[in-house]
Amino acid sequence: MKPRLGLSLLRLFTVQGSYNYERMLGVGMGVAEEPLLRDLRDGPESPTYRAAVARAAHFFNAHPYLCGLAVGAAARAEHEGVPPQRIERLRAALCGPLGSLGDRLVWAGWLPLLSALTLAAVGLGAGWWVVFAFLLVYNAGHVALRWWALKAGWAYGTRVAAALHHPVLARAAAVVGPASAVACGFALPLVAGFLGDSFTGWVRVAVAVGAAVGFLALRLRPDIVSGHRLGLVFVALALIAASVVRP
Amino acid sequence: MELSLLAWGTLVGLDLVSVPQMMIARPLVAATVAGLLAGDPVMGVMLGLLFELFQYDILPFGAVRYPEYGPASVAAVSAAALMQGAPGLGLGALIGLVTSLVGGLSMHALRRINGRVVHRATLRLETGDPRVLVRLHSAALARDALRAALVTAFGLLLAALGRNVLALVLPLSGATALAAAAAAAALAAGASGILRTVGVGPNLRWFALGLVGGAAVVWLT
Repeated sequence: MKPRLGLSLLRLFTVQGSYNYERMLGVGMGVAEEPLLRDLRDGPESPTYRAAVARAAHFFNAHPYLCGLAVGAAARAEHEGVPPQRIERLRAALCGPLGSLGDRLVWAGWLPLLSALTLAAVGLGAGWWVVFAFLLVYNAGHVALRWWALKAGWAYGTRVAAALHHPVLARAAAVVGPASAVACGFALPLVAGFLGDSFTGWVRVAVAVGAAVGFLALRLRPDIVSGHRLGLVFVALALIAASVVRP
Repeated sequence: MELSLLAWGTLVGLDLVSVPQMMIARPLVAATVAGLLAGDPVMGVMLGLLFELFQYDILPFGAVRYPEYGPASVAAVSAAALMQGAPGLGLGALIGLVTSLVGGLSMHALRRINGRVVHRATLRLETGDPRVLVRLHSAALARDALRAALVTAFGLLLAALGRNVLALVLPLSGATALAAAAAAAALAAGASGILRTVGVGPNLRWFALGLVGGAAVVWLT
């Protein structure tokens, strides 16, 4: 049997396309898993296939880049004739670990690492081309992770938990966090300097004071102050000040 | 130019959640490309950097609600393109912050609509008919494309208003004040978001090391 992993991978890129608060990524998961179920015994349109497709579209939520692991594992389990209840339990059990691993590895690791390096490069005077370098490097990791996840899910099936203990994943998770922290720390003063260069004299001091006040507000009252709200309040105050104090 | 920005903003809006999440929705990318399309890549990078800092305040964990800075960055560049320095930055920031608010609200509304559609189709989904599944999914993708286009169009309209009305009545000092306010908020949001991601564990030491290194480079250059 030759699984349609390529088609499934392509569909996985749209896994969040029908994101909703009822099944979360469920429908997208079903769409991505369906090509892997066409070779089920009795063939497509059989009750076995229909039941597997319906199960694949049930509630699911995890990091989008790692959804392939659940898609591959569940499809493999369907092929091996694992009882439906066990497949449902497998999918439910994977939500938490895949979400947590993806968040640590990508949202709090790979993405801020490369974003911060790009910001630092811009701060050091690199041109706009550095943004395309960011896209290239980021997506090399992104696509590789998606492909690995799908292949590993298909290879391991119900033993998919073993794939999550892959040494490369453990090593990456251990390295990417500190690397991201260093890069973010390094980028921050450079970005502040770059933005500060747009202003002169007292305006520059006002930016520094405003940033310090805003930072304190965000740290002390995260329940009511967000970066976006802070931005809206600051620009509203600036607009009011500009309309009151006319030169 | 506006049509190409509309097309780019739509792609950017789709990328954030729906397809393919390759990070063209990241403000630094969205604004830089918008700057290239508008003939002002320098302003594109400037605004991209500003909104990238705001983006650090967002961690897209679970079903959290957040403003959408991708199409907003495109609109910001449209407002600020060919305006020099701080005034461009100020006007762009204002347009971008308002557009990102609308973008965030529209994403939440879309998820609720998707939820209702999926709920209504529950019985058909349980039959395991793949055509139902694909139709639902494709329709949701189309809705997100429409949403992204509408948010971008709103932002571009706001940008045109900003260029043709606000830029004329706002004195240079006012535009500079806007830019300073946005820069201060962006730096605060970026620093706070980074610290939240880094946490209080061993990574904090790595962050401090990077901070000292970055400060030394700024000092020396």
